Amino acid sequence: MKIITIIKQVPDAEARLHPAEEGIDLDGVTFVIDGMDEYGVEEALRLREQGFDAEIIAVALGPQRYEEAIRTALALGADRAIHIETDTVLDPITQAKVLSNLVSEEEAELVFVGGKQADWDSAALGPALAEALGWPHSDWTTKLDIGAGTLTVTHDTDEGQEDLSLPLPAVITTQQGLNEPRYPTLPNIMKAKRKELKKLPLDQWGGVQAKTAVVGEAIQVRERLNRVIEGDPVEAARELVRLLREEAKVL
Amino acid sequence: MVRHVREFAQAEIAPLAPQLDRKPSFPWKTLKMMGELGLLGILTPEAYGGAGLDMLSYVVLLEEISAADASHGTIMSVTNGLPQQLLLKYGSEAQRQRYLPKLASGEWVGSFCLSEPHCGSDAAAMTTRAKKVDGGYLLSGTKAWITSGGEAQLYLVLAKTEPSAGARGVSCFAVEKTEGMVFGKPEEKLGQHAAVTTTLTFDRCFVPEENLVGSEGQGFSMAMASLDSGRIGIAALAVGIARAAFEAARDYAGEREAFGRPIREFQGISFKLADMVTKLEAARLLTHRAAWQQDRARRVTREASMAKLFASEAAAEITHHAVQIFGGYGYSKDYPVERYFRDARVTEIYEGTSEIQRVVIGRQIFKERVR
Repeated sequence: MKIITIIKQVPDAEARLHPAEEGIDLDGVTFVIDGMDEYGVEEALRLREQGFDAEIIAVALGPQRYEEAIRTALALGADRAIHIETDTVLDPITQAKVLSNLVSEEEAELVFVGGKQADWDSAALGPALAEALGWPHSDWTTKLDIGAGTLTVTHDTDEGQEDLSLPLPAVITTQQGLNEPRYPTLPNIMKAKRKELKKLPLDQWGGVQAKTAVVGEAIQVRERLNRVIEGDPVEAARELVRLLREEAKVL
Repeated sequence: MVRHVREFAQAEIAPLAPQLDRKPSFPWKTLKMMGELGLLGILTPEAYGGAGLDMLSYVVLLEEISAADASHGTIMSVTNGLPQQLLLKYGSEAQRQRYLPKLASGEWVGSFCLSEPHCGSDAAAMTTRAKKVDGGYLLSGTKAWITSGGEAQLYLVLAKTEPSAGARGVSCFAVEKTEGMVFGKPEEKLGQHAAVTTTLTFDRCFVPEENLVGSEGQGFSMAMASLDSGRIGIAALAVGIARAAFEAARDYAGEREAFGRPIREFQGISFKLADMVTKLEAARLLTHRAAWQQDRARRVTREASMAKLFASEAAAEITHHAVQIFGGYGYSKDYPVERYFRDARVTEIYEGTSEIQRVVIGRQIFKERVR
């Protein structure tokens, strides 16, 4: 059986981002594999280590720089990778359409997708991909067991969590708690350089038309208030507590 | 590769460093993790369970670990650089099969016993004796400054099989930790507290003859040859500590304000930082060059000593300046720079003092007719 894990690349959470004239200045920012996607790679590896016979394929849709994140997935233990390379920014619905063609062509039976993108916070890709494939889907998955042709999963809901049983093939979106991703070992990092990384054009399965277009982007910028509370220390302390509670809402 | 190892070192090792400094204990848990990743057998071929990488990769990775915690760097450099290198170069096939996979995977940690209480730089003056008996040798004597003493499972020990023959009477033995070995209490050191250091006393400790590494009388020259790569390792370690100190000082200089602006805007601070980073880069380049040349099978006696001398003295200076930039906080244990300052000091001492490096370099100038 083939397992596909979808990989995205995002700015390192510790990178300092600066707003630019239009959008964000990503110059000099380190990019890493999205942490949410690492849970998917790890889960696929664990299934195999539990004795489940699987070929693990890392798949990414994005610009050339994604290659580094793909190599990370290979270093973690994925067998090969496919990169649909494009500079076009696509909405999740369109991405899902493209990826569904690839999943069908590879005849994969299990697909892992990170629960939420670390950069733009979109959580749409997993459900959209399941929809495009017509497959069952479990979102926010924290536990997964595989049986003969079925999966038993635990996933988070608004109220708590529930256990589901779903037949294969299926799409699973992953999140923190599912597992603890490993670090790649030195020998595997070296081997990853020699593993197959196939490149495909975006129009491999026909022309792609984005359903939405990005016309502007901005990030929240935190600025200091530079407020000084004057006066009697006891009064000032009272005022500070009030501000922390009512305005900053940190107490 | 560097990015992955940095991520590991900063997430798993760096947070432990302050605690290990105050309440030292041998960091087995993180060492096991390092073993799993391949960091404890970097130079050992894959056939013996190592990562099979070259010296340049080794120094780059050792810098990352040392920047997170110097004690981990020292344990890593000893087990990688000395026992495994000696066994690879001089060990019998049986010795390699028996010990290298254990050491490279981190199941065992390896140690090296050359110095004695009365002799460090003048190692040929050692008095530990290996007396030939039926089927092996009896070791008697005391070794000093044993990194990972009492914790390591394998000790490469130099002892005299022929006491009257001076350096030519020294042989090398692979000694598994046994009851005939008595470890002293851990030395209380200025820094690198988790890299436990003890004395090791042998009292008629039996070592089977198949554990002789190389041939009788070859020990001293083997030890001296392995010091070249050992010194490149210490240079990388010093670069790692210096880098951590520089980065801490750089960040602090941007945050701390005096007279209404960040202190990095004052020339007194920015010139210091400029000198620090220049020395750091120079030390790193000398280290990389020595490693690169060793990878090309060139003799690197002078290059290794130059890297070790320059990097360790640069580390002492850079950590000194880092404390100064932090001011009062630099002197406080609430900030990491005083630890870097203490951790760096020993790099000028172990694997050959700065004085010995100068002796070696001075000698090589005329041997190689350096231009």
